[in-house]
Amino acid sequence: MDRRDFLKFLGISSGTAMISSCGVDKANEKIIPYLIPPEQDVYPGKPVFYNTTCTECPANCGLSARVNEKVYDEVRGLFPTKAEGVKGHPINNGALCPRGQASLFRLYHPKRIQRPMMRDNDGNFRVATWQEAYAYVTTELQAAKEEKKDNLYFSGRTTGTLAGLIGRFCEEMGIERLPEFEIFSHANLRKANEIVFNQPEVPHYHIKDADFLLTIGADILETFVSPVSNAAQYGEAVKNENFTWYHLEPNLSMTGLKATTRLAVNPHSEIYFLAYLLHALSRSDIRKRRPSWAIMNMVPDPSAEEVSQKTGISAENLEHLVSAFFIAKRPLIITGGVSTAQPGGLEAALLTALIQAAMGMNDTVVDFAHSQNYEKVGSMLDVQELLERLRNKAVGVIFISRSNPVDDISANFNFVEELKNARLRVGMSDFMSASMQECDVVLPLSHSLESWGDAAPRKGIRNVIQPAIEPQYDTRTEGDVLLEIMRTASGQKQGPDYNQYLIEQWHSLYGESETVSLIENGYIEEPVSPLSIAVDTRSVESYLKNTDFSREVAAQPVLIITPSIRTYDGRSKVLPLLNEIPDPLTTVTYGEWVSVSAVAAKKMGLKDRDEIQISVENENLNYPVKVQNVLPENVYMVQRGLIYAIKTDIDSRSGEASWYLDNISATKTGAVIPLPILSGSMHEEGRGILSSHESVVEHSEHYNEKLKEEVDVEEERIYPKHPHKNYRWGMTINQDSCINCAACVAACYVENNIPVVGQKEQLQGREMSWIRIEPFVRDDRDIEFTLMLCQQCDNAPCEPVCPVYATYHNPEGLNVQVYNRCVGTRYCSNNCPYKVRRFNWFDHRLPKPWDKMYNPALSVRGRGIMEKCTFCVQRIRAAEDMAKDEDRLVRDGEVVTACQETCPTKAITFGNLMDDSSRVSQIARSDEAYRVLEELGTEPAIHYLRKKERKSEA
Amino acid sequence: MRSIDYNEQLEHEVLAALRKPNPWYWVALVICALLFGMGLTLWIYQMLKGMGVAGLNNPVGWGVYITDFVFWVGIAHSGTLISAVLFLFRAKFRNAFNRSAEAMTIFAVMTAGLFPLIHLGRSWFFYWLFPYPNQREIWVNFKSPLIWDVFSLGWVGSLRQWWHYNRLYIFLAAFATPLVISVHSVVSWDFAMSIIPGWHTTIFAPYFVAGAIFSGTAMVLTLVIPMRKIFRLEQYITLNHFEKISQVLLFTSLIVTYSYIVEFALAFYGDHQFEAAHFTYRLLGDYQPFYITMLICNSLIPLTLFFRKLRRSIVYLFILSIFVNIGMWLERFVIIVTSLAKDFDPYSWGLYTPTMVEVGITVGSFAMFFMFFLIFAKVLPVLSITELKEEASE
Repeated sequence: MDRRDFLKFLGISSGTAMISSCGVDKANEKIIPYLIPPEQDVYPGKPVFYNTTCTECPANCGLSARVNEKVYDEVRGLFPTKAEGVKGHPINNGALCPRGQASLFRLYHPKRIQRPMMRDNDGNFRVATWQEAYAYVTTELQAAKEEKKDNLYFSGRTTGTLAGLIGRFCEEMGIERLPEFEIFSHANLRKANEIVFNQPEVPHYHIKDADFLLTIGADILETFVSPVSNAAQYGEAVKNENFTWYHLEPNLSMTGLKATTRLAVNPHSEIYFLAYLLHALSRSDIRKRRPSWAIMNMVPDPSAEEVSQKTGISAENLEHLVSAFFIAKRPLIITGGVSTAQPGGLEAALLTALIQAAMGMNDTVVDFAHSQNYEKVGSMLDVQELLERLRNKAVGVIFISRSNPVDDISANFNFVEELKNARLRVGMSDFMSASMQECDVVLPLSHSLESWGDAAPRKGIRNVIQPAIEPQYDTRTEGDVLLEIMRTASGQKQGPDYNQYLIEQWHSLYGESETVSLIENGYIEEPVSPLSIAVDTRSVESYLKNTDFSREVAAQPVLIITPSIRTYDGRSKVLPLLNEIPDPLTTVTYGEWVSVSAVAAKKMGLKDRDEIQISVENENLNYPVKVQNVLPENVYMVQRGLIYAIKTDIDSRSGEASWYLDNISATKTGAVIPLPILSGSMHEEGRGILSSHESVVEHSEHYNEKLKEEVDVEEERIYPKHPHKNYRWGMTINQDSCINCAACVAACYVENNIPVVGQKEQLQGREMSWIRIEPFVRDDRDIEFTLMLCQQCDNAPCEPVCPVYATYHNPEGLNVQVYNRCVGTRYCSNNCPYKVRRFNWFDHRLPKPWDKMYNPALSVRGRGIMEKCTFCVQRIRAAEDMAKDEDRLVRDGEVVTACQETCPTKAITFGNLMDDSSRVSQIARSDEAYRVLEELGTEPAIHYLRKKERKSEA
Repeated sequence: MRSIDYNEQLEHEVLAALRKPNPWYWVALVICALLFGMGLTLWIYQMLKGMGVAGLNNPVGWGVYITDFVFWVGIAHSGTLISAVLFLFRAKFRNAFNRSAEAMTIFAVMTAGLFPLIHLGRSWFFYWLFPYPNQREIWVNFKSPLIWDVFSLGWVGSLRQWWHYNRLYIFLAAFATPLVISVHSVVSWDFAMSIIPGWHTTIFAPYFVAGAIFSGTAMVLTLVIPMRKIFRLEQYITLNHFEKISQVLLFTSLIVTYSYIVEFALAFYGDHQFEAAHFTYRLLGDYQPFYITMLICNSLIPLTLFFRKLRRSIVYLFILSIFVNIGMWLERFVIIVTSLAKDFDPYSWGLYTPTMVEVGITVGSFAMFFMFFLIFAKVLPVLSITELKEEASE
């Protein structure tokens, strides 16, 4: 090659390189300087929080929506990416339950109804305009009135301004407002309170003020009325050294397993215990206020032996319980859930109310002044009445709003058929539920994160509902719909929208400045007028006259239908995340199942996943089995949230639907049904995963001594110790206050973009959760739980085996996973004794539009990559950046991990172990601390605080 | 000293195999090539879809692929050993086997080398395992046994050279023997360096080396017996040769059996809860049928070789070698899978069932091996003519 050719080649090649570097793709990308933020206080990379209300269940906790600015479908926009609790909120104080955490899956659900729909002449749904729908509904309302038919408004529990607006709407439009519909209506509890105190309400229980808690059937930590509030209060109460908690239940609940002492009682025998307790109180010398009502004579007075025999509580336990109850300074008794939703439930609730009154609890811990706003909620009696009216063809237009009666009650009533007798059915909902399928006009409601509104979860608290995102579809709030129908009817063109209506209401109630603080804080506390609660002896007397207490204990075996912590009454079943995370007690994820006691399973030769047939009268139900230790032998459990098709009795006095089926028979069918049960074994076999006396002693001997004497073990090691600079991040988990609610699990999924893999993958054992709740049987009498996540070991077994340094120990003590570097040997996971590493077997992206909720602070991992808990490294980095700007170290408590933030009982503490004054260091040095599998020498950064010893009876 | 005629006859008969192949050869070759192609296709499918097409799951991160890897490495190493160790010990009977054993080594190394790539979640980044110079100075982790593997397998590849020369041969044989032992020890450290009960044990290196010789000897029998028959080499590969090789087989079988006993003894004598639980599980748990089959194939059936009559029965040895191959494959499977299925935390216990993709890729790997062996049999003399002549001349 001569010089000339060389220069030619050089020229061509450099020219080509230049041309190709000015690619067309890059030229299309617009770069706009970010001088003026698109919205006030929105800065790139910095999330904004809007305080609003969680509407996933009737508890209405304060919800703080984190809104991130990010690019979605090539458009920059603002998206809620995480739900947190509102800090300092009187109900949930910064915490949420798993349902609340998963509620973003509802907001972005692809199956939401996106525009109004009406039935055409063939009976199929067609898309309609709002105006068309309003006009049609208005004419139909008029026509029905002319036919002398009743127009009805049927909705779920409604509080706050919307309740008032519905009232006004019904009044103006000549519609009859039916009692609100909730399947968990606490009808017996409210009826009993009405009889005893003239208060048809669910009171607010001040659990945190109690030093002795006696719960009968009420699953206060799972679904009972306001579970996050209860759990948060429990977290406070358990700090008290003397706090004692007895829980009586016929079934097995996580709440019961958390109690100091859980006593299993025979189904339907609670009234014997309560009657005994009431009479013991009148005989006791300890309490000053003894009940001396004449009505006491009308309550049966069983002997201790009789109670013991009926309930199955041993005489010794009974005595312990009663004396502990009497000597307590601030006792609290709560009866609810499974113990009120039974044929004797009304009596049980009534006796409880009498005990509460006799012990003077109404002035302190049983608070009717702040009651839970259930007075407008009806019962099954109201549903029966509605069905009667439908059958008589007396119903014109019926509005069905925010409820799904078809699924909820069709096992008991032929609701679908009767509903056809109405002239027109107007549905308002976010999903095409079974009930909406029966409607003629379906009006899509905006999600609460797209709407303005308010809620009054209990008396004295008003929550704001404010939008965190523009409505994504052609949807309206219920308030707007009602206002617009009213305008259409009166022929007005213009009028205030619901937002303006709300602001007017708030101004008139609270004034302008308070309104601003309501919107900013997310809630406002209003003074309530004190109530003087007294026993209405006459009403109790007239009730007792007609009551037969000699109720027999249930004919066993029984099937108990309980609510579910994951799906409540079934309404949260549509959220995929809640199916993905396991039910904490059984570790079942997708599907329906029957929990069968280990004893009965052994007798019938049943194993997990074997199909069982439950027969009641003429009905047969087939479900796979989950063998449940500690469950009483003759009790079978299913979760209502998952199973609808079970018909139960209705109490004709209160309208409470029973959760029981008596006298069932169960037979093994021989079939095996695939059911994802995530726990490999419920038996820990003393492996040191659960806390024990030995693990604590071993920890304090080896670890604390080492700390104190600063013994250097350098010579024992092949590789040098990891140096730490400024930080060594660590965590403590308090097993005593952890209630295993799985809120942390759900929070972790949403915060860290963890894939939801579905049933098929879960059956293969490929769940992706970074944090999990592990139940283990202890001594066949008790089940204890432990929270398992990456232990961020100092001597991490995963680190040396990675050939490419994809996992390594960073200077802050984090066991870091570098996704980009991972080649997927899976050796790290094999070598992890805690098995907390998760491999991406496939590309599992959330389908559109769910992917709108991805947290932009971290990546979505592709196939072939290992991932695991990072201690929310994105939050650590954010805090460190902030600290760096201010030229300081991160302060204690500045980094809050997602699991820690949502924990209702504040069981998790996170911080810097190198800082001796940090909370996490102090807790880690506690005498109760231990680490899991300490003998392996992995030196985990997570310290567990031992669960305190307690008694329990199977 | 035998006559010149012998030498001519030897050349004639050994080289007869290199003549134009008959149709059956082509059928066998095409079948192997097709199955190999199927294996490759499945691998591509796995890369495109994700590792999830295999049956692996959360506790059991390694399964059939690593089993295959250890199996093929074992085969390769025993080929080397037969060739080199027996050479060093001047075990003359090796001459009949050495060429096949060497060929087997090379093909087995090639097959084995694929499996670490196949089992990677992101196979396309396999080169990250090599310490190649790069601008950002991202280095590999020399603490990881998997990196030790990379180097040890690299060494095995270079052993190809001792194909040739006598002088060099002695040197290479002397060099290769410790190397084989160390390399296979490194493979065993893939497991022994972990902390998983059932893997984390000091006997793994000798245990694996013995296992490798055992399985390799069996594989040599599996290959040579049909070859001898087809190419009519009865005169050169005699019953005496077979008897000696089956003595090696018997001896290594006794070593692995001893290792099986020692494993259990250590676990229970050590009174270590996790170890004891693991070995109880291995014997009585979900994979019990595999473990029992393995014991029968590796420990019980080879005991019959104490009978001279059986040592000299070609048919019996062929059947036995198949059993040993199966047994040794199962041994690796049982060690890998049972250890992972139930380790420390009972919550995360889980079972593993291989999928058709894994079976297909395994079949493909055997097809690849036999395909190369078939080609070898037609391209190169299957017996080392010089060595046989030397043997004859002595």
